[in-house]
Amino acid sequence: MGTDSVKAAADDPGWEALARVAAGDTDAFTRLVECHQDRLLRLCDRLLGDPEEARDAVQEVFLKAYRKAAEVRPQGQVYTWLYRIAVNHCLNQLRRRKLVRFLRWDDPAEAAAAPPFDPPDAAPDPEAALASRRRWQRTRQAIAELPANQRAVLVLARFEGLSYRQIAEVLAITEGAVESRLFRAMRRVEATQERESSRVSRKEG
Amino acid sequence: MKHLTDDDEIELMRLLHGELPEAREHALRERLRREPELAAAYARLEGAWQALELPPSPAAPPGFAARLAARARQPAAAPLSWALAPAWVRATAAAALVAGLALGVGAGHLAGRPVFDEAAAIGGVGGGGVVGAPEPSLAEGYWELLGDLEGSSAAVDGVHP
Repeated sequence: MGTDSVKAAADDPGWEALARVAAGDTDAFTRLVECHQDRLLRLCDRLLGDPEEARDAVQEVFLKAYRKAAEVRPQGQVYTWLYRIAVNHCLNQLRRRKLVRFLRWDDPAEAAAAPPFDPPDAAPDPEAALASRRRWQRTRQAIAELPANQRAVLVLARFEGLSYRQIAEVLAITEGAVESRLFRAMRRVEATQERESSRVSRKEG
Repeated sequence: MKHLTDDDEIELMRLLHGELPEAREHALRERLRREPELAAAYARLEGAWQALELPPSPAAPPGFAARLAARARQPAAAPLSWALAPAWVRATAAAALVAGLALGVGAGHLAGRPVFDEAAAIGGVGGGGVVGAPEPSLAEGYWELLGDLEGSSAAVDGVHP
């Protein structure tokens, strides 16, 4: 184990738990899942835009982690490593989805605009609830229109609250690349939002 | 009016995300006070960022971790590989492949030979071609078929004027 690995293992006790997982301790695996399941579910849901698909993705992510536990070299935090597996899995899933749509000749714009299932809003005011739903739908559409690598950076920054350095670690890219992807993503998001608001004002006017 | 550069906008994004060192943040905030266009761009960026909203994600269902642990305990399915197959399976597959190839080559060879036209031989309606003549091309066959159809529809028309 290198000095980085020793330091990482000392910084995050999760690595020790992962070593027990690698030795076949399924109780340690259960605790690892319990500790990270909600944040991974949230991440996959944001990336895939589909709660059902996200749940399947999280299962696959944890099973991959279980199988790879013996090979991993402690570096940074355990959740960063899990995030990396999750992001890669979701990006592959998105590529596969794109291929399937291409083969089925689906219209990507139509697919992106498909209304997803949203949990009921806690707001007591129905108008406020409707406004929330519209905002969520617009956000989903803006995210769906981003290329996969920009989507990953935006989701990690906006919804996971990760710093540029943490995102760079998860995606194994430089901080400069994070910044430039985020910049391009925001340009697209702004364009989508402008297009959407002018569409709404045309409709209302 | 001064036009904003990409560098300006990237700097604004860093400010929004709290990624600027203190001195640079201070300098940029000073510029924001002096330059209305920069301030407007920052307000626009901040608005776009805050407008990105999603509903809370559903939590993992109860018992999710335990079920996953049970799945992890199951031995992973071995990947399908010819190298892992018994020798007799590999030999049979190879023989089937060779036989298939031979059959294909043989069929192709026969297809090039004159074909015996059963219909012509029994004096019925011929295939529309000369027995032993080279096969018509796909396009020729298509025109021939159209001709036949026109002929038959004319006959039908004749019966039922």
